[in-house]
Amino acid sequence: MTIGSYKLKLEKRVDLQGWKAATISILAVLFALLLFALIFILAGINPLTAYRETFSYAFVNPFGLPLTINRFIFLLLCTYAFIIPFRAGLWNIGMAGQLYTGALGAFAVLLAFGAKTSRSVVLSPELVIPLMLLASAVGGAALGALAGLVKGRFNINEIVVTMMLNFITYWLVAQMIKEGGPFMNPGGRGESFELPTSVHAPLIAGIPFTIFLVLGLALLLQFMFARMRIGYEIKAYGHSPAAARYAGISSFLLPVLVFAMGGALAGLAGYHYFAAVPGVYKIARNYGYFGDLAFYGIICGLISQGSALAAIPIALLFGGLSIGGRYVQGKLSMSFGVDYALLGVLMITLVAFQFFFRYQIVWAKTAKERSDVGVSR
Amino acid sequence: MISDLRRSREERPVEKKLLEETARGETVLEARKITKRFPGVVANDCIDFEIKAGEIHAILGENGAGKTTLMNILFGLYQPDEGEIYIGGTSVKFRSPLDAIDMGIGMVHQNRKLVSAHTVIENIILGHPRAGTILNLKAAGKEIEQVCDRYGFKIDLKAKVWQLSEGEKQVVEILKALYRGAKVLILDEPTSALAPPETKKLLASIEAMARDELAIVPFITHKLPIVLAISDRVTVLRRGKVTARLETHQATEKSLAKEMVGREVIFRLERAEVERGKAILQVENLSTLSDKGFLALKGVSFEVHEGEILGIAGISGNGQQELADVLAGLRKAEGGKVTLEGKEITHSSSRERWERGLGYIPAERVDVGSIGEFSLTENVAMNYYFDGAYSKYGLMDYQGVCKLTEEILAEFSVMAPGPEAKAKHLSGGNLQKLILARVLTRKPRLLIANLPTQGLDVGATEFVRNKLMEAKKEKAAILLISEDLDEILSLSDWVAPVYEGEFMGVIPGAEAEREKIGAMMAGSRPEGPET
Repeated sequence: MTIGSYKLKLEKRVDLQGWKAATISILAVLFALLLFALIFILAGINPLTAYRETFSYAFVNPFGLPLTINRFIFLLLCTYAFIIPFRAGLWNIGMAGQLYTGALGAFAVLLAFGAKTSRSVVLSPELVIPLMLLASAVGGAALGALAGLVKGRFNINEIVVTMMLNFITYWLVAQMIKEGGPFMNPGGRGESFELPTSVHAPLIAGIPFTIFLVLGLALLLQFMFARMRIGYEIKAYGHSPAAARYAGISSFLLPVLVFAMGGALAGLAGYHYFAAVPGVYKIARNYGYFGDLAFYGIICGLISQGSALAAIPIALLFGGLSIGGRYVQGKLSMSFGVDYALLGVLMITLVAFQFFFRYQIVWAKTAKERSDVGVSR
Repeated sequence: MISDLRRSREERPVEKKLLEETARGETVLEARKITKRFPGVVANDCIDFEIKAGEIHAILGENGAGKTTLMNILFGLYQPDEGEIYIGGTSVKFRSPLDAIDMGIGMVHQNRKLVSAHTVIENIILGHPRAGTILNLKAAGKEIEQVCDRYGFKIDLKAKVWQLSEGEKQVVEILKALYRGAKVLILDEPTSALAPPETKKLLASIEAMARDELAIVPFITHKLPIVLAISDRVTVLRRGKVTARLETHQATEKSLAKEMVGREVIFRLERAEVERGKAILQVENLSTLSDKGFLALKGVSFEVHEGEILGIAGISGNGQQELADVLAGLRKAEGGKVTLEGKEITHSSSRERWERGLGYIPAERVDVGSIGEFSLTENVAMNYYFDGAYSKYGLMDYQGVCKLTEEILAEFSVMAPGPEAKAKHLSGGNLQKLILARVLTRKPRLLIANLPTQGLDVGATEFVRNKLMEAKKEKAAILLISEDLDEILSLSDWVAPVYEGEFMGVIPGAEAEREKIGAMMAGSRPEGPET
């Protein structure tokens, strides 16, 4: 494109600094909000008011903020569950299933301690909570490892396998918590028995302790990919399985390992939402909703390009907007689905803007007019 | 005028199109002052080039001399920053290879661009404007067969491409270009994947095509004899510039090499005499399957001793790749026994073999031997991440590896900006030096070098061969797999010609004669008792 004596040209980037990537992402978010403003305008709502309401509820309001943070923790765990296999070039679409089996693992511990009968059973939190965490991680890891095993041994597509396991485990949970299932609530209601008050997850300023867990994981993952041998092996396999095999990295064990690690984190997300978020403390009837929400982990993982630290602000933004969007929909009496639409627009622009991770626009002064003699088709 | 030309060409039947009357000696393609810059390099610096109908004009240059860039410009993949291309005296601009094809330029890629699940004929007519939606394979087949007869190509048009040898695939690419009406045929490294007999046939075909007024431009990296044998003229590139343009009869192998490299090149290598030590690798009756599931290696037995090079000579696809893989632990042995320094490793993992002293230089240096997105440091780590000296307690010592990489870059004169550069930015020769260095610095007891100099330029080839000799002096046992008979004969202490997964014998290097080995590579067993 030519403007005056200047020419706009697309050029392939040789490499991309971190701050540039961040700038591009921020521009993408602003662009998405601008785009979505059209929808508010069409609905006859001042977009500035709408955004003020959305953001203040999500990030400032004393009721909204904890919701945002809980969702953030959940999303970030799901993001990491996606990122670890993703860095090995493998796609984990099974966070939903893994968080279900994680939740089942955590509640199985309670069942073993006889907590099913009453909420007032007194259990030792120092013993039971770590056990629940462990069991949820193992539950998620087992399901993840299954997909990795099938991939590593028979080279069966991991996307299909993890996806299918989501359906299987969805109905497995139903079988467990609905009437007649071992985790059934004594009062029926199609949900699981409730967590005894004695083993509610400790809260810090109203926020479950899992926030420290997930932030610690962020640092650990960052460190793992930067310095640890296993991180090196995962990255090598992700860039080129053939080269990794040549270097002596097992093409059987590695998929199993990354899926087990990812699954474990998704399992912890299951623990977080069903056993640590205030006001839930059971495998709720609408557990499928959290399974769906887990898919945003894929989006956050893709947008952060597999970086554990970059995923933090992205998961926070998505968590906040999903809470704030739902709120503003009710408050301004808009039709159903504003939060989903907002996340959708955000998602598409962020992905579209990744084009600029690879290309840049450069201005160049045109040297001289060249006559374009040649073929015209 | 150009568009008229194109239209008229499309209306004419294929056969006639091929034999289009162009007065012999008329310049069909000309490039003037072509300059192309990439970030940090001038790949082509003011290059002039022209070719006449019926002429074979070779372009010669080392890796990184700018050959590929020039080729891509002539074929419309790149647009030159400066300079013009003329066809039949008219200035043209190629916006894509389609434009170039429409103007009669055909390209035979070194990395074949064919659909392997389709038949030969389907590949040839794929994308042809006349093919239309309903294929008339019969009519097309007839036309193609006539072309084959004329130029001496033998190929089964109904065969699937994956069943073909490299040489046959190349024939398909040539036929495809001819069928699209090429008047100028660009050949990228035409003989690099061919065995001696195949090469001979191809050269005859090229000459036949030139007699039919086709202009032929072979791009060649290191096979100087080929240039001397077929070309009429030769243009030599070095560092993006034309350093010489000669009538071929005025050139010699030595003078061309000098123009290419910029210094004198030694072609013969002194074979180091090292006393035969103990056996390092013992292989008994080893067999394995190919990816497609047939027996690719049929019970081979051999030994390689300390300070000794065993050269496996053969045309690719006769089980060499499978042999290298199975020895490196990347492929399951179906039968037999492999012993490394007295310890059986038949079923050991690949990493265990590395730790026991294996060093493996794979043939696919881009896809298997390196990781393009990784820095050079990380690439060096591929053979060191499991080594206690560079990773402890599960942590990588990247600083240590980085230092090692710097040493490697200096000692092996790898041209790279530094250890943080990405491997994908290295030229083939420099990448191979890096891989070689990385493997050799481990001081392997057994070194498997699979096609170590394939596609390398004269300078890098010389370097790699010298390093193999040095490793031999340091008492490594070396298994050298090569399609280049000269390489095998000049380096090996023992030569094992391989044919269809079997060794045709193991002959002492001193007794190995070119003709004899060449015949054995084609499947004839030696007379008399086997050695």
